[in-house]
Amino acid sequence: MATLEHAGSIPLGLRRADEASSTRLRALAWIAGWWLLGRGVIVLAAVGVHTFGPAGWIRRVEHSSVLGPLEAWDTRWYRMVAGSGYLLVPGRQSDPAFFPLFPVLMRGLHAAGLGYSTSGLVIANAAFFVALAAFYALTKAMLGDSMARRSVAYLAVFPFGFAFSMVYPESIVLALIALAALAAIRGRWGWAAACAGAAALARPEGLFVALPLAVLAWEQRHALSPRARGVAIGAVLAPVAAIGSFSLYLWQVLGNPMAWSQSQRAWGRELSPFGLVNAIGGLGRAFAHDAWVTRDVAAVVVYLVLLAAAARAGVSWPWLLSGLAIVVLPLFTGSFDSIDRFGLLAPAAFWGLAALGRDPRVNRLILGLSVPLLAAAIVVLPLRFP
Amino acid sequence: MSREPDERRFASGWVTLGVAGAVVAAVLGAGVLVQRAALPSPSAATLAGLHAGVWLERYRLVDSTITLDGSVVRGRCLQDWFVSGGQRRRGAVLRLDDGYVLLAVPPHTLTATGGAPAIRSVSPLVLMELAGCPRVLARRLQTLAQQHRGLTLRGDTLTFRLKATRVTLTLDPQTHAPTGVELVARGTHGVSQIRFTPVTTRLRELLSVSHG
Repeated sequence: MATLEHAGSIPLGLRRADEASSTRLRALAWIAGWWLLGRGVIVLAAVGVHTFGPAGWIRRVEHSSVLGPLEAWDTRWYRMVAGSGYLLVPGRQSDPAFFPLFPVLMRGLHAAGLGYSTSGLVIANAAFFVALAAFYALTKAMLGDSMARRSVAYLAVFPFGFAFSMVYPESIVLALIALAALAAIRGRWGWAAACAGAAALARPEGLFVALPLAVLAWEQRHALSPRARGVAIGAVLAPVAAIGSFSLYLWQVLGNPMAWSQSQRAWGRELSPFGLVNAIGGLGRAFAHDAWVTRDVAAVVVYLVLLAAAARAGVSWPWLLSGLAIVVLPLFTGSFDSIDRFGLLAPAAFWGLAALGRDPRVNRLILGLSVPLLAAAIVVLPLRFP
Repeated sequence: MSREPDERRFASGWVTLGVAGAVVAAVLGAGVLVQRAALPSPSAATLAGLHAGVWLERYRLVDSTITLDGSVVRGRCLQDWFVSGGQRRRGAVLRLDDGYVLLAVPPHTLTATGGAPAIRSVSPLVLMELAGCPRVLARRLQTLAQQHRGLTLRGDTLTFRLKATRVTLTLDPQTHAPTGVELVARGTHGVSQIRFTPVTTRLRELLSVSHG
């Protein structure tokens, strides 16, 4: 059926494949640009902190190298797990509070000759590029290209996103959450199970990807074979199984399957129905103890506003609910601490921001504010007790 | 014939459930395997130190029989709250049967009264360690265990350093509870047998000291 016109030219299928691959490459280059901008700001700010201070709570060891400020706060815990494994010391802050996937990866790279902290930095920053790419693909599949572009740009320079470049597992978890949902949308439930399980093995917030996965599985139920339905159900349950595997491991090693939950108590975190009331009631005391709690309270407000914007923009309820769980559930431990970081794992918040950014003036405002705030977050990092 | 679709649906339901179970089991198993293969387990010395620390944290009163440079004394060390400088603070009081009383309330209070001159010439830290004062030993054990260094386990004895002293705890082979202390410091060598004792109100009143 080939015509003269087609003779000697590239077959249509191949040409389409070529176009698709060049579009994909262009998108990846564009994502890499945003990744470079955001990470560049952070690295420059870290170099500034290293050179000019302030020293604050950052110890000498973290000031000794140029990127040392990015190894502050909880890095030592992940380094301890990667180097020596888990140990629960009753009544003391202990490392089972830190989930195992990130230290396992750090240990893997360490075996290749890198130090634990350097391994953590390499993994976190590389995983953030994967997270941006996966988040772009997921958002494009759900909400279209322009929302995807804005979401990725805002995520890359989001002021609280400095944690994506520190020795923290947030970038891995976000990448795995996005990949799990993307795989589910494409009907690749085996991959969805692997990514969802791995996300929960890196941070407990990974558990909440189960909700969007459950709804996707339900929507696809008629199109799936009985076997594929089984894999889909398995994917929904995979995060719970992964957390179970952590408990099982701790039981074998320390004789205490709930060590990861118990060790949180030494940080003053314990889930309770009255936790939210205690967190709000204790704000005055928390503020007197450490005024930086203001930033955490502001983070909660910002995330809730963004989730409301996402709801108005028509983001589906399972994503909204999982975002709400990520932001609000930690408050039930009686503390506002670290919610700026936890909220990074709520994709719906960034969809809400992208929806607000439809207005070009708001878009300019968001980008114009985010970049200096991101740099400022690194500069003031030593002033905050971890 | 009409039951066939029902049976097929029933069978496919079992397939779905079986596959779902297999996926969950695979995630669970893979998770445990990865952690076991990749992460180191704490050493026996670290775990022994941790368990000994837990025993010491569990009790506030320790009875001891101390042999120090040839002389034998009996002691009782109580961890309690004390009023020091107008504030309630945690500290320890050590009473020996020769009349020696040591009160240690960090950060500023360390007073010793009574007792034989030979005992009074010994460092308060040495006496507290030999008497098995729980908090002093527990804190050090927990710190070393958490750092995964500085603890040596040989059979039922656990050795570590505390400031300028080298302490060897004898552990009960079954419960890992400390039962004895051997201490070496510059010019001092002492051993003791220790026994954990539940605190009663009467004992607390008997052992406590008033301190402004």
